[in-house]
Amino acid sequence: MVKIEIDEEACVGCGSCVEDCPNDVYEMDEEKGKTKVVKEEDCMACLSCHEICPAQAMEHHDIHVAKRLYIDRKVKSVLDKMI
Amino acid sequence: METEEVKGTFKPELIPEECGGDIDDYEEALHVLMKFVGSMSSALEQVSGRGANAIVYQAGKRMGHEAGKLVEKTDDLEKALQELSEILGMEFYFEMWKPSGQDEYITENNGETVVKLLFMDCVVRQTLRRTGLPQKGPLCYLLYGYMVGAVEEVMDIKGKLDIDHVGPNACLKTLTIKWSGK
Ligand code: SF4
Ligand code: SF4
Repeated sequence: MVKIEIDEEACVGCGSCVEDCPNDVYEMDEEKGKTKVVKEEDCMACLSCHEICPAQAMEHHDIHVAKRLYIDRKVKSVLDKMI
Repeated sequence: METEEVKGTFKPELIPEECGGDIDDYEEALHVLMKFVGSMSSALEQVSGRGANAIVYQAGKRMGHEAGKLVEKTDDLEKALQELSEILGMEFYFEMWKPSGQDEYITENNGETVVKLLFMDCVVRQTLRRTGLPQKGPLCYLLYGYMVGAVEEVMDIKGKLDIDHVGPNACLKTLTIKWSGK
């Protein structure tokens, strides 16, 4: 099953993931002003939340990672050397 | 980058012994194709507006009907989906999906059969990302048409596919089957 981890230090509490997730996996923790995972079992690993999160504050474990053939391997190898 | 010209002898042959090209050549060709298809899709949208979706949908549907002819006909939706996943292959890897509160993958609703499909790998999505185009545009209709055409062919029914959600790693679609026939 999918496991989602939130880096509370990184989360800026913008609520974008709460709004964007089609399956209501997240809710705002009003006390902490951070997001929290409330329905992990409904996550379908679309990763829309990753795309929208300005703080890259979440990690999804044990998911099917889609192929990314659109990334040019030559460009990737140059970037790997630089970063 | 330097391009090496290949010179050799060409003989008429039934099965080519040498197709030429290594993985880098294939990758380059794939990326050129992705860019080409992406720009064709946005040009189509520019010229035909929303009509572009219908054109691409029809093209996909035709391909789906052709592909559906290759597999055995069935009226068992689960079996049909299994066969379709074989036709579509790993480049369109999908599974049935349901929210945790729902018991079965396949549900009945007002005489219609409904199933949610989660597309995890998709060449269309990769092409859109390669060319910086948004999802849910005309190109996505190619896959909808393809799925619907193939389901119609395999099951001899009328079907439709709606997009529930698109994401960078997976897209959720609802397949609805009308049993009243074509
Ligand atoms: S991956 Fe998709 S379904 Fe899962 S939490 Fe993120 S937005 Fe929601
Ligand atoms: S989108 Fe990112 S930063 Fe915003 S609430 Fe969600 S996890 Fe926190």
